[in-house]
Amino acid sequence: MADSNPFPLSKDELLTCYRTMRTIREFEDRLHVDFSRGDIPGFVHLYAGEEATAVGIMSHLGDGDRIASTHRGHGHCIAKGVDVVSMMKEIYGRKGGCGNGKGGSMHIADLSKGMMGANGILGAGAPLVCGAALAAKYRKKNEVAICFVGDGASNQGTFLESLNLAAVWNLPVIFVVENNGYAESTSRDYATAVNSYVDRASGFGLPGITVDGTDFFAVYEAAGEVIKRAREGGGPSLLECKMIRFHGHFEGDAQTYRASGEMENNRANHDCLKIFNSHVTGAKVIDAAELLAIDTSVLALIDEAVVKAKAAPLPTLADLTTDVYVSY
Amino acid sequence: MRTAATTQEPCIGIIANPVSARDIRRIVANAGNLQITDRVSMLMRLLGAAGSVGVGRALMMPDSGGVSAMLIRSMAREHELQHAFPKLEFLDMAPTTTVNDTFKAARMMREACVKVIVVLGGDGTHRAVVRECRDIPLAGMSTGTNNAFPELREPTITGLAVGLYATGQLSAAQALVTNKLLEVSINDGERRDIALVDAVISRDRFIGSRALWKMDSLSAVYLSFAEPQALGLSSIGGLLQPVSRQAPGGLAIHLSDDPALRKLQLMAPIAPGMVRPVGIAHWQTMPANQAFAVAQGAGVVALDGERELTFGSGDRVQITLRENAFPTVDVATCLQLAADQGLFRHFSPQT
Repeated sequence: MADSNPFPLSKDELLTCYRTMRTIREFEDRLHVDFSRGDIPGFVHLYAGEEATAVGIMSHLGDGDRIASTHRGHGHCIAKGVDVVSMMKEIYGRKGGCGNGKGGSMHIADLSKGMMGANGILGAGAPLVCGAALAAKYRKKNEVAICFVGDGASNQGTFLESLNLAAVWNLPVIFVVENNGYAESTSRDYATAVNSYVDRASGFGLPGITVDGTDFFAVYEAAGEVIKRAREGGGPSLLECKMIRFHGHFEGDAQTYRASGEMENNRANHDCLKIFNSHVTGAKVIDAAELLAIDTSVLALIDEAVVKAKAAPLPTLADLTTDVYVSY
Repeated sequence: MRTAATTQEPCIGIIANPVSARDIRRIVANAGNLQITDRVSMLMRLLGAAGSVGVGRALMMPDSGGVSAMLIRSMAREHELQHAFPKLEFLDMAPTTTVNDTFKAARMMREACVKVIVVLGGDGTHRAVVRECRDIPLAGMSTGTNNAFPELREPTITGLAVGLYATGQLSAAQALVTNKLLEVSINDGERRDIALVDAVISRDRFIGSRALWKMDSLSAVYLSFAEPQALGLSSIGGLLQPVSRQAPGGLAIHLSDDPALRKLQLMAPIAPGMVRPVGIAHWQTMPANQAFAVAQGAGVVALDGERELTFGSGDRVQITLRENAFPTVDVATCLQLAADQGLFRHFSPQT
């Protein structure tokens, strides 16, 4: 008799998580190609390779839970449920995008999904989630707020001040340090005096843990515990996810700071999608044909998003002065 | 840089795990974490002491978790201050921040003929070193969470003991003791691994974040030794039927919360700050070299506190205790002998 599903998620939930991770990968890989053709205005920073972290964490969240993202925010947006077509339109700078084509890649937001926004200012999300968490605490709705920050941005004063504020006010916040080893092109070893983020959390009196960010199940389990703790009033914590960025810091980055063969090894041995596939097919919970069917439908979705983005109109000059102020 | 220890200058190896004590038990069990700065301070104290008794060189595993980077800065500062320390060299290897770093470093240290490998880490780090290298003596320093294997001891004292052995002032017969371990085999050796303290069978069937803390998922505990003052899963044996490190045999304990099978309930400190009731079905001593078959059909074998090996209902899992399996430096005995032999006495000319 075959063994039952050993994972802490049902088969349907596992398929959903895979679909989301695969959507992020296809979305980013398509942007990698389209940006090099000159189709996309502005700048893009791609999340490919890091999908297990976004999806492992966001699987525990509802629309009422808030997140603040980074300059590398597409993966967070997709995992939080933001519509892929409206994201693609936004990145292409077209009307009908999340920001009507006026924000671009680093300003995607959808408050209906609890996505407070990507952010071009490094470390700027941390104080924002403290505000969201304070509101959640007052509303007593057991909601949490999550800040994503890179290893480089964790050196910003805003981040360190926010650790202090969250600890003092015992806020339901999780600070997720997405540690891909490089602040743009600068190695963490060079630029960070105490490069354990768990140690930093300890310095502010809150617990921190480190997890393999390329293993969906490790992230899922760890995130479940820190989020549960925050919902139950246990206060803030820090989750360091060690992960690998498959593309450059930005599109066009020649990545001369990487060792010879580093990326080939990463793609061969540390691809979080391959690792997920190996787990679920190895346990005979999902077969390869089911995953392939998802791959095919995701590809069609991304094709459709690009077609719709290219067909959408550009903002007009008159649009320049709209959406500047909000009426309360 | 890498330099093989081909000269007569006594050389010790150092493997310091920068990511021990970083797992989920900081969230679920109020476990502490030893900061990188503290780990580096421990190494500085160890190196200073080892150097004072004649160790000239130390060969260290590089890491990208902060220990090497901070140690280099600290050593540069000591150099500026003209303080004497052993020469510190790093193995020529690119760190991956996985357990493979420890495996590789242990192999390279054997090739470099170090006299002792000093290990900073928890039970898991020590297990990884022994898995690759059973013939070079270890000196353990605890920086992990449960720490049943490495002793809690001031690094200065460990550094003195290591130095006395590495420089030949104490012989192997005087300075070393041998230890037990557990060998785990799946399907007659298709997959193999070891545990230094505990091999635990869990009904969980995925590795996930690795740590074990949910008692209701555990079905059996196999122990190479079990001390009453231990923290972690070996405390179950320690409080049920203690077995010392040096005594022959180990202990196998079968767990059950089913009142029909449960013989007794034992309160045990299974993780930091977590004293939990443990249902005990039965227990027996484990004679050396006798394979114990795991009865559970599918699950995970956790080794020294971390989920490591998944197995299915068709797999055959066996656990065997081995005695005299690997040597460690007996720090207390080394210092006792040093005192008895007057190794630290330096008489002034007029006395």
